[in-house]
Amino acid sequence: MAAALERIDRYAELIVQIGANVQPGQTVEVTARIEHAHVARAVARASYRAGAAYVDVLYSDQHVRRAMIEHAADDVLSWTPPWLLQRAKQFGKENAAIVALVGDAEPELLADLPGDRVGKARMKELGEEIAQQTNEGLNNWVVTGVPSEGWASQLFGTPDVDALWELVEFCVRLDEDDPVAAWRAHVQKLGARAELLDDMQIDSLRYRGPGTDLTVGLLPESRWQGCESTSVTGINYVANMPTEEVFTTPDCRRTEGTVRSTQPLVLGGQIVKGLEVRFEHGRIVEVRAEEGAGVIEGELASDENAALLGEVALVDGTSRVGQTGRVFYETLFDENASCHVAYGSAYAEAVEGGVIDGVNVSSVHTDFMIGGPDVEIDAVLRDGTVVALLRDNVWQLDA
Amino acid sequence: MAAVAPAVDQRLEAYADLAVRVGANVQEGQTVFLNTQIEHAPLARALTRAAYRAGARYVDVRFRDDHVRHALIELGPDEALTHSPEWMKALYRAMEGHALLWTTGDPEPELMSDLDGERVGRARMPEVIEIHRAQMIERSLNWSGVAYPSEGWARQIYGGPDVERLWEAVAFCTRLDEADPVQAWRDHMARLEGRAKTLNELGLDAIHYTGPGTDLTVGLNGNARWMSALFRTRDGLEYVPNMPTEEVFTTPDYRRAEGTIRSTRPLVLEGDIIEGLQLTVQNGKIVDVQADKGAGIVRGQLEVDDRASYFGELALVDGTSRVGQTHTTFFDTLYDENATCHIAYGFGVPEVFDGDPGDGMNISAVHTDFMVGGPELAVDGITKDGATVPILREDVWQLH
Repeated sequence: MAAALERIDRYAELIVQIGANVQPGQTVEVTARIEHAHVARAVARASYRAGAAYVDVLYSDQHVRRAMIEHAADDVLSWTPPWLLQRAKQFGKENAAIVALVGDAEPELLADLPGDRVGKARMKELGEEIAQQTNEGLNNWVVTGVPSEGWASQLFGTPDVDALWELVEFCVRLDEDDPVAAWRAHVQKLGARAELLDDMQIDSLRYRGPGTDLTVGLLPESRWQGCESTSVTGINYVANMPTEEVFTTPDCRRTEGTVRSTQPLVLGGQIVKGLEVRFEHGRIVEVRAEEGAGVIEGELASDENAALLGEVALVDGTSRVGQTGRVFYETLFDENASCHVAYGSAYAEAVEGGVIDGVNVSSVHTDFMIGGPDVEIDAVLRDGTVVALLRDNVWQLDA
Repeated sequence: MAAVAPAVDQRLEAYADLAVRVGANVQEGQTVFLNTQIEHAPLARALTRAAYRAGARYVDVRFRDDHVRHALIELGPDEALTHSPEWMKALYRAMEGHALLWTTGDPEPELMSDLDGERVGRARMPEVIEIHRAQMIERSLNWSGVAYPSEGWARQIYGGPDVERLWEAVAFCTRLDEADPVQAWRDHMARLEGRAKTLNELGLDAIHYTGPGTDLTVGLNGNARWMSALFRTRDGLEYVPNMPTEEVFTTPDYRRAEGTIRSTRPLVLEGDIIEGLQLTVQNGKIVDVQADKGAGIVRGQLEVDDRASYFGELALVDGTSRVGQTHTTFFDTLYDENATCHIAYGFGVPEVFDGDPGDGMNISAVHTDFMVGGPELAVDGITKDGATVPILREDVWQLH
């Protein structure tokens, strides 16, 4: 018990110091599932120790959500209660620090429900508000994972929470003697990689592999990002823990071709396997999957821009998440195992000039994995030169 | 893994249906606000399902976490203790015209015991409480509270984590053991309503309590009724705010109480137990507090404001009370106040007045019930012309 508490407190300190980088006098918002309470409580303690003015923890529960999906009227599924919208706006206005805890404790809970209703059951206005705040850089925030028996069962077939904790600790560098120093070095490496990509003046990315032949156009204003961001109030933070990617915002009008997802994806409590999508003039026009296509289609119908790309991210084989060789069934981890793209909302911070033409705005943002040893990725530069970026999961550039 | 709906506990579902249909009486199209805590999740989930089954438009579930509250009290800055977040105020304002459910039953009664008591006492959201209190006075929501048996609560009652034993007690007290609990509650509330009606027809001017250490007369308000806990919103919707409930009650004239009263059961207050409480009352005001244990806590409460030491509620409970029949101290007011007759010092009950309460209802930030009933207590009504009407003898109701 003492060891478990120490592990949780160490994790909470890393979340508060490196992830959100909570500053004295800040309000801290924590969102968590009730199964994450042990970590949420440690984050509350660590935040107060860091000088937080107030810690506001909002718990949600998938069983409550399940009851809504089963019983509520259609228009209620995507409804945002005004008090929750006000809550988000308040934290935007106050430039609060935000800690979002994820990790599904009952991954199969919604599996027997109609996929289209599961897909629609998202608070739309709240999603838009948060996307806008993210674009405006109002908050210093972090998303991080909490192991649970249910999540462990999904990975291992047995509820071995301890084994999952060890994987998570490896991925978030808590296995290092000085995790804070290890993160500083990691942040620097990814920052240098993003700088090199920016200098190349890339016009588009080309993906080739089994079931994949995709071109993603970039904007001249697209800027590659490492894992450190800076809020409008000048606070540096690491938005995802773990993070292994460099990413940018594509020109949402210039995606063409087909792409096959290389890993399962958990979405709205359902698992999507063997996803294949086809793009025309930037828009997803066809969705196929061995399992769970309905939940993707439900999401793409959320608003008119949901079916356009908002993010491209490059990850190589040095990724700690990738090195585990595991599918985590959790986007936060799986997107860091491998290259991915996201349909839906773009990150304005990855564009010179913010939300300009070609930068997608949507209430949705869903990443799916398209990387791995079989996928070759090239950069086509503005002068037409083709430069290899990834072969066999090995980064081909110097940084 | 097969895609099937999760298993449900039928007793829990029936309990939730009772709280939703008889308790809050949730109406088609209402939003249901559920104030609960993470340790009560199984009940919260069942209440959510029951509310949707009853036609709720949306169920908003707020999970409180007392460990987060502990962190606030232990480590937070002073101003944070009384901070009322704007969104919480918006949430409470939104409850108007809708249904509220809350859950009780402390899973960790000792949690706050290592903290500075003064900071624990101050850690409230005064602006949120004020919005809620105004809604109570305006009778603008239909609401109800039910308890969730947990290991921690069972340990506090029985000395061991016997959750099943506690469940059986809760099921008995809330009539879940009946073949048709909803009908059993209708019959029960009709019986209590009958008692209130009889008391109202008597037009009593005062209540006189006599027993060991007790000789107390409390004046009643001419404009206050006796009620059962069959409440009505301002729009006339009936609901039962407490489950269990065994009492008929009124708000006395706070200016008219004289004598002495001895409490017959332990009282749990701010995490401590008060035993052998004995109060002396003059001109309506508690002027002396004695107790075998914990007198200081009561004296501290009476100092909270000018009117804390005046009475706000008289409640009559007889030996047919199911809570009383368990002979158990539950360390939870929802249960313990329904075991036997009780009196509250502090805030009155606005529901007993038709319209403006006038001058006789006590107003205070405090409302603490203490138990005074039992077989040795005799309760009489005094009519306006001075006649005495026996109401309770040896725990048996005397009126018909």
